[in-house]
Amino acid sequence: MSQLVILDNEAVQALADPAHRKHRQVVSHVQVVASRKRRAAPIQVVVPTAVRVEAGWDRTSPAWAFPNRLRIADVPLGAALASAAAATHGRTGVSVADAHIGAVILSASADKITVVTSDPGDMRLVAGDRAIVIARI
Amino acid sequence: MATLARVDWPTCTTVMWYDLLMDVSAAIERINILLDADGSDTSNTSMRIPTTLRDAAALVIKELGVAPSVTALTTAALRAALEAVVMQAVLDDHYAHHPQVRPELGDLAVATAELDGHPLAAEPERLRRAADEISAHHPDASPDEVLLWAEARALPAA
Repeated sequence: MSQLVILDNEAVQALADPAHRKHRQVVSHVQVVASRKRRAAPIQVVVPTAVRVEAGWDRTSPAWAFPNRLRIADVPLGAALASAAAATHGRTGVSVADAHIGAVILSASADKITVVTSDPGDMRLVAGDRAIVIARI
Repeated sequence: MATLARVDWPTCTTVMWYDLLMDVSAAIERINILLDADGSDTSNTSMRIPTTLRDAAALVIKELGVAPSVTALTTAALRAALEAVVMQAVLDDHYAHHPQVRPELGDLAVATAELDGHPLAAEPERLRRAADEISAHHPDASPDEVLLWAEARALPAA
């Protein structure tokens, strides 16, 4: 069973900063993913690029070296996802970053989708009818 | 990683440890660049693998259709394995620099439950107690084993 793990803004910020009070919790999530990957489980951590913008994650900045090296893939806001995100934004009034998360959720082919988030309500809103797991931080 | 051989000794152990960390960091950086690069440039590689494994792979391709070719299957598997190794090396490097953030078994059990939407994710303290109990007898227990143990403990006695 394939699994997609999506990080929201606070998850990204917590991951990047060892002094962040939720850093250890998000590192634990990443450690579980790494352990599963070593057992050849089809699992992937991703970050929508609009979330990266909101969190200030500049991949060219040395300040983001730790998350940069963790093989967390960008999901760009291309034309199709932008349309889906615009519809979600109009429907729910969430932020652009959260609407991008919603578009990623709705377009993902993974069997299971987990969102690491501090805002479960908005994530359920943007997921619409798609079943997701919320890993609350 | 081959670059670790650069460490000279005998010398001050602090310097050795520093060199070790720097070499791993540089290797991770280089591996990540290679993994992210455009993979259209290919090379012929000769590998000796068990004949039975080769035959099993050929059957998987022909009968189960999980990949277009043995080469594609092997490449995907190798990429996944390398990504897993890099990810763990990055985490280990991070723990070496920040020992206080290294997750304990209880943390990993909670994270496992949270990622999977397991009902026990709502009871982190129960999972942490279960991790303490199981690690007292099985120091190498996995987070999944902690979850099983916690579930078993929650069952009513027959």
